Amino acid sequence: MSCLTDVEIQTIVDNEASEASRQHAAACRSCQQRIDERQRQMRAIADAVNISGDIPAALDVRLRQSLASAPGSAAPAVRGATVLRPRPVRAALGPHGARWVYAASIAAAVAVIVFAVLPRLGAPTRLSASQVLERSLQTLSTATGVEYLEYELTIDGAADGPFRIEHLIDRANPQHYRVASYGVDGLLRTAISQDPVARRRTQAIHVDGRTYVVHVSDIREPVLSLPQMAQALLESVIAMMQATADPTLTMQEGPAGREYVVETPRVATANAAVTLDLSHARAVIGADDFRIHAFEASGALLRQPFAVSVRLIRQEIVDSTSANFAIEAAPGDIVLDGRPESGPLEEVLTAIVRGATQGAH
Amino acid sequence: MTTIANAWMTTLERADAPNVAAGKPADDVLRLFHEHGGAIYRFCRSTLRSESDAEDVVQDTFLKLLQHLESRGDRSNLRSWLFTVAANGCRDRGRWRSRWLPWRAEDDRRVAAPAQDQDDIRSARRALRALAPRDRVLLSLRASGLSYREIATATGIRENSVGRLLARAVDRWKKARKS
Repeated sequence: MSCLTDVEIQTIVDNEASEASRQHAAACRSCQQRIDERQRQMRAIADAVNISGDIPAALDVRLRQSLASAPGSAAPAVRGATVLRPRPVRAALGPHGARWVYAASIAAAVAVIVFAVLPRLGAPTRLSASQVLERSLQTLSTATGVEYLEYELTIDGAADGPFRIEHLIDRANPQHYRVASYGVDGLLRTAISQDPVARRRTQAIHVDGRTYVVHVSDIREPVLSLPQMAQALLESVIAMMQATADPTLTMQEGPAGREYVVETPRVATANAAVTLDLSHARAVIGADDFRIHAFEASGALLRQPFAVSVRLIRQEIVDSTSANFAIEAAPGDIVLDGRPESGPLEEVLTAIVRGATQGAH
Repeated sequence: MTTIANAWMTTLERADAPNVAAGKPADDVLRLFHEHGGAIYRFCRSTLRSESDAEDVVQDTFLKLLQHLESRGDRSNLRSWLFTVAANGCRDRGRWRSRWLPWRAEDDRRVAAPAQDQDDIRSARRALRALAPRDRVLLSLRASGLSYREIATATGIRENSVGRLLARAVDRWKKARKS
């Protein structure tokens, strides 16, 4: 007889195998090893299933109350429906049975309070995935002062990645900000800064080994802050994680101490018909301060698939008087004066094209 | 030959054999709840991945047991009957559950896994959660000690197919654990 198939191995482990399979396994070292391996896997699965714990005391109480109040009667057999019979079960139990059920319910309720409610009051460290995400959202939205944020950004499909991003944003005036991205070589790739009081916007872009710096004065009205947009997107994704049915929450020891890891289960594809949908998201959140230490998400945004991951490098509130929002041109950079356009992208493109045209003439 | 199936089966087999003698239905329900409620709850919890949903299904299952006993239903294999009803309850609940749920913090009872949970158990659970519902149900029923015949009854699949489907489910679980 040739060696056993995986299905036959499974049936042996499950004690459902044929006699022929058993005899072969007893004589075949290779199959016996496969059986041992499959037994270990099934044991791990059993541990995973059975670690779910005992019945909550509250469920015991609920069931007893339901039994005590369930209507019943000598009605015909119920066929698969959830309709209960009209005769009260309490009557069927008799006076002693009813008292016993009542006493057991009280005892179980007391047990719930002693073992479940009171420890929770004294131990607020047991948080749900949603509570962790909620606190993280609060941390995002309640930052004050001038915040410096440095993180690593990886975008699926983007050449030159991962990028190091520096944010500087005045939380009192979110239109006042500076964002710069750097490649793995440490060189500036893109940057934008905006000062709504001085009505000035500066952008830098690195193309073919050369950096173009475009200054635009008298901007009509500040465009939406890029850091604000990034934060809004992050908040949206976190809110979706809160709303997802099955996020998992685990804890780990990270370089910065204990961390919560909240993760949504992977689904095959995101719904591209909606503005934003997730196929997977994972957030690593500091247990002490609820700051997001790392974040990754994939799905569809504006009907395009996306996958990004972010790893926090530094986050701090800096002295507002010494915070430098400006983008300084370095020697060799091409500095251009642009005109206000409807958006930053048009401004920088128009300025570069104009500059190139003038140079050609 | 020693298999882990024996270890799984012991508790429930002992509890279920001999089959339940007819007593007062409500008393029988409470007794069966104490004997099998834990296994049913763990099965539902593993299948539904939600404590509150699992509690609802367990409660419904034992209320249906009350109806079953009061209507003098078959008492020959109540363990299998309970798992069948629970599996159907889980499936029904899975049908209406949408992917996105309205969220209220006070209702959220999903809690962090205890820090002392071993990594291998954690990864095993994670892999289990990543499986398709049918694979999760099959593995959970097997882990709950049901025979192939009982699994077939509970899930509505042919008994001859149970071993093959279980083997495939384990393979997918292995892949999910590695990824």
